[in-house]
Amino acid sequence: MGSKKTVYRPGMAVDIGGLKLKNPVMTASGTFGYGKEYAPYVDLNLLGAVVVKGVSLQPRKGNPPRRIMETPSGMLNAIGLENPGVDVFLRDKLPYLSQFDVPVIVNIFGETVDEYRRIAEMLNNRQGIHGLEVNISCPNVKEGGMAFGSDPDMAFKVTREVKSATGLPVIVKLTPNVGDIQAVAESVEKGGADAISLINTLLGMSVDIEKKIPHLKNIVGGLSGPAIKPVALRMVWEVVGKVSIPVIGIGGITNTADALEFLITGAKAVQVGTANFINPKATVEIIEGIERYLRKNKMNDINDLIGTLNTGGNVC
Amino acid sequence: MDGKVIANRRLLKGYFLMSLKMPESFKKPIPGQFLMVRIKGRNEPFLGRPFSIYSFVQDGRGVFVEILYRIVGKGTMCLSGQKKGALLEIHGPYGTPFDMDKYPRNVILISGGIGVAPVTYLASQYRNYLPAALHLEMVCYHGVTGSRKLLGLERLKEFCSDVFISSDDGTVGYRGSVVEMFEKDVLSYTPEDTMIYACGPRPMLKKLAGLRAVPRFRCQALLEEHMACGLGACLGCAIRVREGGGRGAYKRVCTDGPVFNIQDIEWDY
Repeated sequence: MGSKKTVYRPGMAVDIGGLKLKNPVMTASGTFGYGKEYAPYVDLNLLGAVVVKGVSLQPRKGNPPRRIMETPSGMLNAIGLENPGVDVFLRDKLPYLSQFDVPVIVNIFGETVDEYRRIAEMLNNRQGIHGLEVNISCPNVKEGGMAFGSDPDMAFKVTREVKSATGLPVIVKLTPNVGDIQAVAESVEKGGADAISLINTLLGMSVDIEKKIPHLKNIVGGLSGPAIKPVALRMVWEVVGKVSIPVIGIGGITNTADALEFLITGAKAVQVGTANFINPKATVEIIEGIERYLRKNKMNDINDLIGTLNTGGNVC
Repeated sequence: MDGKVIANRRLLKGYFLMSLKMPESFKKPIPGQFLMVRIKGRNEPFLGRPFSIYSFVQDGRGVFVEILYRIVGKGTMCLSGQKKGALLEIHGPYGTPFDMDKYPRNVILISGGIGVAPVTYLASQYRNYLPAALHLEMVCYHGVTGSRKLLGLERLKEFCSDVFISSDDGTVGYRGSVVEMFEKDVLSYTPEDTMIYACGPRPMLKKLAGLRAVPRFRCQALLEEHMACGLGACLGCAIRVREGGGRGAYKRVCTDGPVFNIQDIEWDY
């Protein structure tokens, strides 16, 4: 008929436990610095959210080198949670990010339940912070060094403490280094979490056969990248089947197809991590790709896609 | 951005020179900066690899960079197999460059092995962009393990009034390390109007930092380290530096460096 075709824009907004995102793609903590590092390459305003590098009460120097090692389709890291501490974060890092029209989620961690609570208090009622992501993959120094996230009871306690200390939406980030991820997810939900993100890195190791030493000074490190994507996807599937709070999928997401797999499986949003290292524009390319996919499939809204996985009636 | 392989020539066993045609938007690198290079569309090898610049040319035919590299592992091995016409993913230029003197009198370049690449680019920029009237005395001390590892001399000689060669096995030039060779001359230079630039294996740089005379000079060293992102986010390329006379701190080779004041580097930890 010669009428001008207008390109419609499918709805991309998602709601993560009260946190409204303009699209479901955020950055994974530790892979995007404090935003500024990537600003020359990415328009931060386009992102669903920026999750900053993990912040602790006190500054941490991190581990001695060597800290990273490439592995098949991925990498190991043992950075040691290096960060300038919460005071420097608030003074020097947050103001830069606040200039942008993008939700800022602060990833926090501690060595005791009390530290988690205190840092959550310090970040409460601060302009420019839209949510907390709680890294529970760190060792509980007071309880024998076992990771908080590896035990459902400890995961519950940390969640409850953080939740009681803040009015911000609380996302709890799970470690995959557990026997029963569903048990941890359930207790985190009981503890009051507004959302769950998973997975953090898988514990791994690599050896230099000439020198007969571990490649990493820390001996073991966290595995990330495309290599872990199938594991992450399986765990997201297990968790979305168990909890009713929103789930954010993380693990090896490198391109649009990867992100779509997680969304179809039931993740309400995704985080792009290691892919930022090899392609600084990965996040925005994935956002554009998801939009294209929705258009191609004549879908009006991303929420119509989330959780549409057909397993033929099988549940986990 | 994509870089297109124009040539990828084996110069010596294990040493290659790659020429890349870059998009017009590619920014001219400042000496000391590096590029992250990745083979396009592949997850193996997964991470990009950092490379110093050997040359940069912008003319009527386009924008070109050269990378001089040695095969040390999987990444460089794969790179050496890239043929003319292949596309590479290039990010950069990244990093804090060399501090170049505006009115230098004496410039000393000290390089070991493949470290010749960034010092050659630095030398070319000093030569090409200084006022012609300025008299610059630029020399290079270059060390190799043996005569069969010697490369890049012709280009260095275009820029330097003298190029002194040393070899560990004595098959060419001075027998011994490049730092020992330099040590014999160090007292003939005046620290107040001399800049030293060094790039080479870590033991060479450590030895240079340990020379008694060196702290009196302004001496910058270009380091290399394993990197994932190259832009300051992953914190994977940390090295230890001295800070304010106190305890050590970690700095990122990719953004705080790769160029450091040689006196700031902690060599043992």
